Amino acid sequence: MITVARTECVEAEPVPGFIESAFNPLAYRAAADCLRGREFDGSRLAVIVTSLAGDSTTTGLASRLLVGGQVHNAILFMQATANAVLGYLSREFDLSGPLLSVSTVDDDPLDTADLLLTDPELDAVLLLTVELAADERIAAAYRLLGRTPPTHDGASALLLERDSK
Amino acid sequence: MTGGVVVTGYGVFTAFGWGEKALRDGVFTGTQVFAPSRRFDPAPFRTPMTAAAAGDPELVEVLVGCADDAVDMAGLAAVQAAVLLGSAGDWKAVTRFSRGQPYRPGESIPGVLAGVLGDRLGLRGPRLAFTNACVASATALIHGWRLIAAGRQDVALCAGAYLVEEENMAKFDSGRALARDGVIRPFSSGRSGLLLGDGVAAIVLESEEHASRRGAQVLARMTGFGVASDAYHIAKPHPEGRGITSAVRQALRRAGVSDVDYVNAHGTGTPLNDGAETNGLRAALGGDTPVSSTKSTTGHMLEAAGAVEFVVSLLALQDGVLPPTAGYLTPDPACDLDYVTEGPRRTAPRRVLSLNAAFGGMNTAILLEKP
Repeated sequence: MITVARTECVEAEPVPGFIESAFNPLAYRAAADCLRGREFDGSRLAVIVTSLAGDSTTTGLASRLLVGGQVHNAILFMQATANAVLGYLSREFDLSGPLLSVSTVDDDPLDTADLLLTDPELDAVLLLTVELAADERIAAAYRLLGRTPPTHDGASALLLERDSK
Repeated sequence: MTGGVVVTGYGVFTAFGWGEKALRDGVFTGTQVFAPSRRFDPAPFRTPMTAAAAGDPELVEVLVGCADDAVDMAGLAAVQAAVLLGSAGDWKAVTRFSRGQPYRPGESIPGVLAGVLGDRLGLRGPRLAFTNACVASATALIHGWRLIAAGRQDVALCAGAYLVEEENMAKFDSGRALARDGVIRPFSSGRSGLLLGDGVAAIVLESEEHASRRGAQVLARMTGFGVASDAYHIAKPHPEGRGITSAVRQALRRAGVSDVDYVNAHGTGTPLNDGAETNGLRAALGGDTPVSSTKSTTGHMLEAAGAVEFVVSLLALQDGVLPPTAGYLTPDPACDLDYVTEGPRRTAPRRVLSLNAAFGGMNTAILLEKP
């Protein structure tokens, strides 16, 4: 497996249709920076979003609205999973291959990418890693794992291909 | 790898209760058990109806129980196995945190929940949670197939878990996705949406050689799968079911077959899904293959849908009975396949397809064949 492109970002412009949380704009920006200007067959490219805690900002906001007895914003429903930004990316770049989002404590996401590249129907994997600064709930989970919670938002992207050698 | 990937055990929990007998008695008779939620006050929502089992069980306990059942059925003593979970985590922990109540923070995080499952079963191997909504546990099963086929694992415990709670009730209510009349009516005229349902299932996949070596009973062979995206919209399915067609064709191609005898459809009962799925299936398989949506009885189990419907498809294969699509009223011109609406249908399927779709235009198809 070889890396053909790599990007990192800690802030991103808003993306139409997504509100409040930095998760989706960061994922989109990292992915777009990696893909833009490159030639690829979108049916043979898989995208993986890996994030231990996911979009905890959207989760927390929606939950506070619920327990506060307030009406939910339908956009929070739309963006509640990484599927939304993956769907947005797939439309923008005509990506019709597998779209995955995973959460793992100890597994190396590169192993998942490498496994996908054993599939003869795929040529490339875009591996996105997104973590938001931990809120109180997420920080408590990190402490239970004996790890330091993330203190800032950030995303990275790797475009990986099978090593023909 | 020579040989294939086989199924040797499963455990399941739905609104009908624990185990395969409860599933058979409910799903295969077309019984609908939608009732006003007792787990939370449903008054703020479009409908109070859900398909929930009695009481208010804890997600992790039901998940571990199903996994224990699967491992027991498989007669598995191995400790080296991947743990692959389709889940968004325990939503009740999120609500408890927001209410300032005691909560277990780890279980609210999917990757941690997968680790808890692995620890509780004593399984050592990769632990991953797939969080891509309604295709999450189908993705876990496909990932298990990939790990085994690539020779990286002999055994994978693949699971999906969702229990009805109010966070998702509020979200789906805000998206106007819930059925106004309190019934799911997949592929029918007058359908108005989905209802949430309890679902947890765990499945043991293993290499055929590994199963054969230890003398395990093979329940079915997982011979193909397809994964494809619509590349169309963040929420709406492609109206022609582009990704569904692609996923089904891919599954057939990988299995080296040209048709199937039954499709367990995604069939959410929403106006947009069912027409798109019909178009996608017709393009891939023609119009004569029997199709049903068992969400009409179980409700929509979100991340767990793929795992539970995999078990339903397996039972259809084993029993020679196709489960019905309950709640069906009259035909919708946009949905013109053979939807098994008359009740359970006796037949002798050799191969069946379990189909799922999700927000963002994601689609999966899993092909099971008789051993």
